[in-house]
Amino acid sequence: MTDTPIHRLGRFGSSWIVGLGRIANFAGGIVLAIVRPPWRVQRVVRAVYDAGVLSVALICGAGFAVGMVLGLQGYTTLVRFGAQESLGAVVGLVLIRELGPVVTGLLVIGRAGSATTAEIGAMVSTQQLDGLRMMSIDPMHFVVMPKALALAFVMPLLSSLFIVFGVFGGYVVGVELVGLDGGSYMASLENAVGFRDDVLQSLVKSAVFGALLGVIATYRGFTSPGNAMGVSRSTTSAVVTTSVWLLLADYVITAFWGV
Amino acid sequence: MANVDSREAHVEIDSVRLGFGERDVFEDLSCRFARARITVLMGGSGTGKSTVLRMIAGLQRPDSGRVVVAGEDVAALSERGLQRVRRRLGMLFQDGALLDSMTVLENVGLPLREHTKLGEAEIRDAVHERLAAVGLHDVDELLPGELSGGMLRRVALARAIIMDPEIVLCDEPFSGLDPPNVERIEALFRELCHDRGLTLIVTSHHMASSLRMSDQIVLLQHGRAVLGDPGELATSGDADITDFLGADGAALARQIAREGHR
Ligand SMILES: Nc1ncnc2c1ncn2[C@@H]1O[C@H](COP(=O)(O)OP(=O)(O)OP(=O)(O)O)[C@@H](O)[C@H]1O
Ligand SMILES: [Mg+2]
Repeated sequence: MTDTPIHRLGRFGSSWIVGLGRIANFAGGIVLAIVRPPWRVQRVVRAVYDAGVLSVALICGAGFAVGMVLGLQGYTTLVRFGAQESLGAVVGLVLIRELGPVVTGLLVIGRAGSATTAEIGAMVSTQQLDGLRMMSIDPMHFVVMPKALALAFVMPLLSSLFIVFGVFGGYVVGVELVGLDGGSYMASLENAVGFRDDVLQSLVKSAVFGALLGVIATYRGFTSPGNAMGVSRSTTSAVVTTSVWLLLADYVITAFWGV
Repeated sequence: MANVDSREAHVEIDSVRLGFGERDVFEDLSCRFARARITVLMGGSGTGKSTVLRMIAGLQRPDSGRVVVAGEDVAALSERGLQRVRRRLGMLFQDGALLDSMTVLENVGLPLREHTKLGEAEIRDAVHERLAAVGLHDVDELLPGELSGGMLRRVALARAIIMDPEIVLCDEPFSGLDPPNVERIEALFRELCHDRGLTLIVTSHHMASSLRMSDQIVLLQHGRAVLGDPGELATSGDADITDFLGADGAALARQIAREGHR
């Protein structure tokens, strides 16, 4: 086979596009599985518990820490312009528009996304999915759909939780430590935040991130080669791929929202 | 070997070629598995026993050739068609393939819960009946991770037969079992097959039990299949077969042939 850099680039490009097509096809399969009965409520609830409830402490802690940092950084910057009364607005807007969805997304990718890929990969390598096929049960419907749906569903909820704890962390630094007025912290936050531009944007972002993670994490697990090394590679690749796509998607959504 | 060939074939593999990458596992494999008989697939490690079962189950498509299961060529079926054929199949995987997030009761009852309208109590009864048949009691609430290898395989066997399939494929059902349990499973196979008319296709390394319970043996070697009953194998002059059986196996096969097996 000819092997010049141009050929290699061509091969890489076409295999990348083929891969994209496969993922799109897989995502279509998930959507079909969602609308096809039976509804698998129990399996979805279980997956939501695994992906969401077990991440709650992590998200609360991280949100609080990020909020405190924002409080400190925001204060030291604002005080130079004599605008420290707007601390609430700065902390709130940064959290709602960017850090809430993005940091939550990255944390959930590392916590629940990687676990999802590894679990499905292990099921492939121990033939559990083939076992389901032999019982005439579609693994897309029984295993993949509940997990993907759960990841997409918990992301906006966890992101909201992250934001609430972040605002609280900023409050602790700004009001309790630095001595700003608590009323004006909350008032500036309330006045600055709009529904469409801020809250809705935040929810759309985290929903898109969740959907991305749901599809990529399950796809990588589902297609992982049936051995331990393959599973660990797929898990790493799921984390890296989803993180990159998340950051790209973040930019695209922000740009199209017309800030 | 006319007596074997003349029986109606329930599963037939016809001129199958299959390779992984550069390596051919089967170049031209043909063999037949008779209805309501126990066929033991034998052969050294890596000769493709599991792969034959996976092809019959439609989990592995051959590169060319036909795999006819109960009248349908599974090599040419869509996923939907395969689902239909698989309703008539039960399969015991080499490592059990139980869902490790579900208890034994949930695992074995899963096909009933998915495909029938039975209530919880009826499902529980059906599961207990199958578990008792493989010699297990009071394991309902255990997870697969809490079972020994032999227990795992027996639970998986219970799951494979819970829907009363026509054809049961068993990959190494005896490995990890103690002698009493080997005998119990052998007896269960005979009952399923000779009393209830199931077709059993079993792979096994276990020479004695294979020779004892089989109606016919398919010996895989160099990507080909040799078919016969134990007596025929023992008396065949083929050097490969004699090698595989070894002196003990050949003696046992001759003895079983003399006594008329079972
Ligand atoms: N998915 C696969 N990819 C590559 N090679 C494979 C694959 N599955 C099986 N093989 C090859 O096919 C051959 C037959 O494998 P198979 O598992 O059917 O053997 P086996 O007779 O069941 O062996 P054992 O007695 O050890 O279980 C082996 O040489 C194996 O390397
Ligand atoms: Mg095998």
